[in-house]
Amino acid sequence: MTILQKFKDIAVRSPWIYRINAGSCNGCDVEMATTALIPRYDVERLGCQYCGSPRHADIVLISGPLTRHVVDAARRVFDEIPDPKVTVAVGVCPISGGIFRESYAVLAPIDDYFPIDVNVPGCPPRPQAIIEGIAQAIQVWRQRL
Amino acid sequence: MNFLSLFVRNLVHGPYTDPFPFAPAPTAARFRGKVAFDPETCEACRKCERACPTGAIRFERTPEGMTFDCWHDTCVFCGNCAFHCPTGAIHQTADWHLAHLQADKYLQVEHGLIPAIVCSSCGGKGLDSAPAIGKIKPPLSPEETQELRSLCPKCRAKYLKDRRQRA
Repeated sequence: MTILQKFKDIAVRSPWIYRINAGSCNGCDVEMATTALIPRYDVERLGCQYCGSPRHADIVLISGPLTRHVVDAARRVFDEIPDPKVTVAVGVCPISGGIFRESYAVLAPIDDYFPIDVNVPGCPPRPQAIIEGIAQAIQVWRQRL
Repeated sequence: MNFLSLFVRNLVHGPYTDPFPFAPAPTAARFRGKVAFDPETCEACRKCERACPTGAIRFERTPEGMTFDCWHDTCVFCGNCAFHCPTGAIHQTADWHLAHLQADKYLQVEHGLIPAIVCSSCGGKGLDSAPAIGKIKPPLSPEETQELRSLCPKCRAKYLKDRRQRA
């Protein structure tokens, strides 16, 4: 039991992040890339790393209002991510639809389709706000692990 | 030589990384963040509701008066509401700390109430909103503003008409 606890304590220090673009305009994706890659914001200080494969991910960042075209693909990718995972909705689009609210082409809000844990509103949110959201997601993940 | 000057400059400057989660982040003074509403100066003209591209702002008539709600989770921080507001009752603060847990999703609301009043002149229904002054000349004195606030829309129009004729 104590060994398991030790593993959990170590694992919680370095969640890996995966991004799903569910029909986003790329504004939020640019901010997410900025959060990770530019030394000024540098989310890797928190032990996070962006990974290319959904199978390695712990925290999922979803951006975009979930367009009808992308819902199938997004769902398939989401199911690839092993449990326990924490989902963060980045930008107002996945949270409520934002500017695309009540459009025939989008299925927002996204929480009808995916279990969301943390919301980061903004159009797009600034990198610090995304870091704040990831910090909250790490707290959620710590409880869940 | 170039390398040396860079080396010295970076050594003096220190790391460029923003220390954000461990220290406050630098924010521009005019940063367009969370919308703030002041029911004291609102005219209840509802221009902001009409200008809002996402439908984040909603006014509603209730027995207590006119309620204002702005849901931060659908606001895109475009600033149209503040631009169209004739009195500056609605403005954007530099607050961007909006990340929240899913349980608080529907609590991210800026709420305001313009209380309902009974007109002091005719006893009809009115709102304690700021008078829509536009380009009134001469400008209203604080006493006149106070008096106008206690009137219903019809009595306000009458009051302003009488005032124009007096001037």
